[in-house]
Amino acid sequence: MLVSSFAYAHEMTPTYPEWRYSIYSDLLVTKMEMFNKRNDVEYYEIAVFDENWNPIPFVSSYKVFKLDYLSRVQFEVYIRAKDKDRAEYICSRSKLNNGMPAISSMICSRFK
Amino acid sequence: MFKKALLVGAISLGAVSAHAVDVPITGNVQSKCIITTDTPGVYGNPNAYTLSTASGDGGVQPIVRYDVTLANAYYAQITTPTEFDQSPSLSDTVTWTGSTTVSAVSDATNMGSYETNKTTFGQTTQYDLTATGSTWFESTSTAAYGGNKAFPGGTYVANVEAVCIAK
Repeated sequence: MLVSSFAYAHEMTPTYPEWRYSIYSDLLVTKMEMFNKRNDVEYYEIAVFDENWNPIPFVSSYKVFKLDYLSRVQFEVYIRAKDKDRAEYICSRSKLNNGMPAISSMICSRFK
Repeated sequence: MFKKALLVGAISLGAVSAHAVDVPITGNVQSKCIITTDTPGVYGNPNAYTLSTASGDGGVQPIVRYDVTLANAYYAQITTPTEFDQSPSLSDTVTWTGSTTVSAVSDATNMGSYETNKTTFGQTTQYDLTATGSTWFESTSTAAYGGNKAFPGGTYVANVEAVCIAK
C-alpha cells in the first residue's frame, strides 16, 4: 500500500479539444478547463505548439494566469485560421516559485 | 371512524411526500491525465562536491504520480534537472546525471511492462501509458561540481519536470 502525507495535482481538459469558428473573422477558438489541486503553485502558463514543439501564436485572456488552490477556470484560446492544421498541442505548465523545491508539471492536450 | 383515520393518515403521508426534495448529484466524466507531485526531492550532500537525491547519500528521491482515465492515450515524460533554479554563484561546471524508474503501479498486470518499454533521451525518460490507473515514477538526480571542487555553501534548488502529452 502506498501512503502519502500530501499530494498536489494539476489537471487540464479536454484531452482532445477541437477548434471552432469564433465571432472574429479568421480566428478559431477552443475552450479549455483547468483545475488546480497544487497548493504549491499559484500560476500557470499556457502555450500552443506544432508537432515539432515550435510555438504557434495564439491569443487568450492571459498567457500566464493565477489559479488559486482548488479553483477551476475555463479559458478560451484563439489562433489564426491559417494555423489550424499546424496547431498540434495546447499545454499548461505550472510556474514554480523561485527557491522552492518542487516538481514542474505540464499537461498537453492534442488536436487530432 | 376508521375511514376517517385512514383519510387523515393518507393526507399526512401526502403532506410529507410533498415536502420531499430530490437533490441531484451531477458529474462529468471525461478522459484526463492528472499529474500529482507526491514527494518533492531533497538533495543530500555525501561529499563536498556532490549533491544527490539517493537515499544512501542522505537525499530524498522525488516521486510523481500520473493518473490516466483513458488507456493508450498519453505519454509520460519525466526530465531530471540539468541546471539549478537557485544556487550560490558557481564558477565551475556542474555535471548532471539522472534517471527515472517506475516505483509503483495500480495495475500490475497491465502496467508491468512500463519499465522495460520506456525510452530515454538525454535526461528525459518517456513512458507509454497504455492502461488506465495510477503510476508512480521515482527519479534520481546527481550534480557533481567540476574538478571535485567543493560546492559553495548555500541553498541549491533544481526541479524535475513531469509532462503528460496526449497521443
